[in-house]
Amino acid sequence: MSEAALLLSQVVNGLVLGFLYVLIAVGLSIIFGMLGVVNFAHGVFFALGAYFALSLRPQVGPAGVFVLAPLLVGLVGMAVEATLLRPLYGKDPLLGLLLTFGLALFVEELIRTLWGTVGHPFDPPRPLSGFLQYGPIFVTRYRLAVLVVTVLLLSAIWLFLEKTPYGRIIRAGSRDPEMTSMLGINLPRVFTAVFGLGTCLAGVAGVLAAPLWSVVPSMAEAAIMPAFVVVTIGGLGSFPGAIISGLGVGVAVSLTIQFWPAAAGAVMYLLMAVVLLVRPRGLLGERWEQFE
Amino acid sequence: MRANDCVGRGLPGAPVSRRAALRRLGQVGGALALGGALPALGPGRARGQSASPIKIGILLPKSGPYAVQGENGHHGAEIAVDDFGGKVLGEPIELIWEDESSPQASQQRMRKLIEENKVVAVQGGISSGDVLAVMPIAAREKVLFMASGPNATEITGKNCSRYTFRVDLPNRVTVRTVYPTLSEFGKKRRWYFVAASYAWGIDAYNQMKELLVADGGTVLGADQAPLGTTDFSSYILKLRQTDPDVVFLGLGGTDLTNFLKQFHEVGLTGKVTISSPIVNDSDLWAAGPEAATGTFPKLWNYSGHQNTPRSEQFVKKYLARFGQPPEVEAWQDWFAMTAILTAIRETKSTDSARLIQFLEEHRFEGYKAKPVYFRSWDHQLIQPTLVAKVKPRVTDRWDYFDVVGEYPQGGTSLDAFFGSKAEIGCTLGPLA
Repeated sequence: MSEAALLLSQVVNGLVLGFLYVLIAVGLSIIFGMLGVVNFAHGVFFALGAYFALSLRPQVGPAGVFVLAPLLVGLVGMAVEATLLRPLYGKDPLLGLLLTFGLALFVEELIRTLWGTVGHPFDPPRPLSGFLQYGPIFVTRYRLAVLVVTVLLLSAIWLFLEKTPYGRIIRAGSRDPEMTSMLGINLPRVFTAVFGLGTCLAGVAGVLAAPLWSVVPSMAEAAIMPAFVVVTIGGLGSFPGAIISGLGVGVAVSLTIQFWPAAAGAVMYLLMAVVLLVRPRGLLGERWEQFE
Repeated sequence: MRANDCVGRGLPGAPVSRRAALRRLGQVGGALALGGALPALGPGRARGQSASPIKIGILLPKSGPYAVQGENGHHGAEIAVDDFGGKVLGEPIELIWEDESSPQASQQRMRKLIEENKVVAVQGGISSGDVLAVMPIAAREKVLFMASGPNATEITGKNCSRYTFRVDLPNRVTVRTVYPTLSEFGKKRRWYFVAASYAWGIDAYNQMKELLVADGGTVLGADQAPLGTTDFSSYILKLRQTDPDVVFLGLGGTDLTNFLKQFHEVGLTGKVTISSPIVNDSDLWAAGPEAATGTFPKLWNYSGHQNTPRSEQFVKKYLARFGQPPEVEAWQDWFAMTAILTAIRETKSTDSARLIQFLEEHRFEGYKAKPVYFRSWDHQLIQPTLVAKVKPRVTDRWDYFDVVGEYPQGGTSLDAFFGSKAEIGCTLGPLA
């Protein structure tokens, strides 16, 4: 196979991987953009998605699991926001950070207790096994499905945020919470919904990643680092920023594996360092008054 | 700048400059790291017990890619303590388990176990990088270190230490165990390598490459992957294009599980032979019956006719207590702890120098088909090895392997199989 074809196949592979990164990161980005909470527990919501799917699959099948597991994760997220996070708003932001960090450790331990330390097998649904090949482009059916689902979800979220009154409230609330609540908006309820949405997206990513990656309690750690890197590169709170940077990280990792595999672990951090040096706010991070 | 006067405006998204937040984050991280290194609630003896327990440190992962092996190893050690009735020399045995998470952190915890907890010996170590990092501490503090699970050759080779013993197999031996079966005795010699980019993985690659090249084989490609890689799709894309006979991995733990799942995803399972210098049953349990594949060298397997009554007894006890059969790491830590406790009982001492002298001379009978022993001049456990193949159809939740060969074969002595003095290049220092 020619050098160019090889390159092309790695770029496509990287883009597919990138969409998975975007899906993990986008919930984190939304939660930060709106609530200003750096959600260290995002990884465990991702893991919960996979574990709920694992337990529900025998009863409701792969399609049912894809809907039900993320919804359950979203509900857990809403409960966490309403009971644990809400009392901390307006206090030192460090507290929210500590709380979610502690929560991450706690939930990981809970998963270990409930489901065991040993990983669980999780095969992709039968109709989605196998792969497609067009010339140099090689992609498995399952990854293609993940890509389609991610694109649909991201479009839906974008439409929701940009085109609906609810989206307007969320965007207004993220820019100026004080003013928004003065206009008679019940912000606490909006925050609960936003946290639920963000964690639900983590749950979707967890369900989709389960057939690809190990379903083990430590899967949360494996997800949270790339998610933070993607969000930082894209610009904290920026939705399109997360998409561009997620795809960029995916391609960068793939190409590094092609040419210099030993550096594959470092490349996304290097990318982040370079972006932060040139654009400290991240690629599409805007100057938001409340974060300055 | 304005961070402080903005805090506490009474609403979420409370403004804070990113730089300030990151600085705070660093402080929190530092404090948490420090907390981990602090002594666990004062000296262990001040507990109102009349008996002073004999403490043994355990250094095994509680998190990260080898967390499962850490837990199973700890379970194995607990069974060994139980075999002794929880006591040795009339004193209760206390195990203190510290996390093995990175070479630097493991060094801190090793010091903590020795200085704060006053353990008489430490056992464990799965990652060779961590083991190589803590070996000098054991030697400096003159405390026995029983390395139960690392495989880098140099641990009982050029980096060997008088205070360190190793139960697990060096890569030098694992590759020699599995090579004849993998190459189908010289017929399949176009290989691709993917190895974790740290001591063990790189050593595994070097050792196997040497055998392959000496046999006239071809290295189609050799890639390094960072420890903890979740997605191997780009590696698999690369190796797929070279159409290899064998893919030899230097991967373990969740890395191996991830690789097997993604290898299955692209439909290569069963079409290309997979191997690795060592395999944990739990890595395959996590991959599941469909994705599990490969031919591996194995130190021990819970099923198969090769097991001794003593090992069978261990399997029974473990199964009853933990609800699943022991994987190889559990056996290793069971044996490691048994060796330490036997040494304490037989020498009636907890002095590391005396324990070491005992271990250098003792032969342990009944644990494997042949008596096993720590070789006096490199401290490697000399023992028979197995070649195990994943069953063509896995039907049991735990029983994945058929033992297809026992090594050494063809009249090679156990001692020669593990390498001669000249090949190993280990010089042990003096005691005390």
